[in-house]
Amino acid sequence: MIQRISYAFRETIASFRRNVTLSVAAIITSAVSLLLVGATFLIQRAFDNLLVQWRGDVGMIVFVRPDVTPEALTFIEENLKSQPNVIDIGKIAYLDKAGSYEEAKRVFAGDPTTLSLLSVETIPSQFKVVPKTTDPELVRSLATQYRTLPGVAGVSLAEDEFDVISTLSGFVRTVTIVMSLILLAVAVILIWNTIRTAIFARRREIEVMKLVGATDWFIRVPFILEGLIQGLVGAIVSCGGLWTLNQAWTSGVAGFKAGTGVSSLVVPDSYVNGVMIALLLIGAVAGGVGSGVASSKFLDV
Amino acid sequence: MIRLENVSKMYGNETPAVRDASFDIAKGEFVFLVGPSGSGKSTLLRLINRQERPERGNVWVAGKNINEMANTQIPFLRRGMGNVFQDYKLLPNKTVFENVAFALEVIGKPKHVIGQQVPQVLELVGLSGKEDRFPHQLSGGEQQRVSIARAFVNRPLILLADEPTGNLDPATGEGIMALLEAINKTGTTVVMATHDHRVVNAMRRRVIQLDRGVIVRDQERGVYE
Repeated sequence: MIQRISYAFRETIASFRRNVTLSVAAIITSAVSLLLVGATFLIQRAFDNLLVQWRGDVGMIVFVRPDVTPEALTFIEENLKSQPNVIDIGKIAYLDKAGSYEEAKRVFAGDPTTLSLLSVETIPSQFKVVPKTTDPELVRSLATQYRTLPGVAGVSLAEDEFDVISTLSGFVRTVTIVMSLILLAVAVILIWNTIRTAIFARRREIEVMKLVGATDWFIRVPFILEGLIQGLVGAIVSCGGLWTLNQAWTSGVAGFKAGTGVSSLVVPDSYVNGVMIALLLIGAVAGGVGSGVASSKFLDV
Repeated sequence: MIRLENVSKMYGNETPAVRDASFDIAKGEFVFLVGPSGSGKSTLLRLINRQERPERGNVWVAGKNINEMANTQIPFLRRGMGNVFQDYKLLPNKTVFENVAFALEVIGKPKHVIGQQVPQVLELVGLSGKEDRFPHQLSGGEQQRVSIARAFVNRPLILLADEPTGNLDPATGEGIMALLEAINKTGTTVVMATHDHRVVNAMRRRVIQLDRGVIVRDQERGVYE
């Protein structure tokens, strides 16, 4: 068994050497495409931070003072429920202090100063409200009305906050996903072609192997391994690129004034790590599948 | 050991390469397949090691119908067969030792078995001392001996030889034939396709003659006509 594994690795390395140019091209292409895939994830996540407060058509948020009395809280809720013409009362959601704090961690991801001023005790809780009416003026007058209620710390309206960003986010997502998919396909094709060339270079050897009774998998495995390693090396390069990119982005965002909303566009390291693991998997699978298909097709075993 | 039952093989829509061929080859026999180029000799050999499948008829090897054999079983069928070719099919970037060892390596034989069996078989074919040469440093006859060593190192039940003397001068060819005869004496069934009159006439073994894909003669102790 050990002998077979060492055989497969020796063959893989030898094949790499024979085909340096093509292998490098395949690696670079998969690195670039995977970098784009990773960047798509990060951009998406950054926009999500910005929009996390407003998920699910939330149009208005009523912030409640942290020291609110239970009576005042109930009064606010009752008041919201008494407006079935303007708001969808079935979708009124109350986010308590703990939930609000979790959300704030994302909203202020790039603004640690503000975040450090907040705590589960001192953060406002909030009612998320989905408007029923399409008339923005009606919602706006309602907001003005709630600002004066006892216990209310403030009211935010979606249309003041993020209309442009929301549109931009959708556009950027589409473009990056399409581009990364195209590049990923190119990477798979390049790996496929590298393997085909490697098989062609060794066709005599393969013929002899078949005649002396080597099993199909014995012949295939070194080629599949080669493609898998190409994909994986590409993924490792892309991970390095992604990490560098994110560091540069984070320090760039830190230069903006706090409270402009831009600071939300920071992605935490834990998420970047998750994306990098995903890239390694995608790279390995794409390389393995590309070379697996090529070796089944061209070995004719 | 080898049995063909009414085997026909076609390439495309042309006249069949082999038509309705039937014969039985017993264990330990030495058989010549003779006939002009294109008469179907090579196709018969390729049917026996299942590089080809017939359109009609059955091919039996060692009691198994190899046309019904699953593809995954073919490598194991071939481990019981050695193949020798007119153009040797040696790997140019491997030494004599490595070329022969390769046949054992790819079927997963451990190193110590390879280290033991390869020198043995190289001695048998008369190439001791030339283990580290590369094929291009050898004469044609020597290259064919390497190829025979590779085919025989796994002690196969059957040796298939396709024009093994075709590229060699008569004296060298005689040496190769002596070697094949020696291998045959160990109990290995040898099937050899050839159109070399001299070797057939000198050996006086069973001759199966083909003409345009049809068996026209099957004779014990025959000669080339």
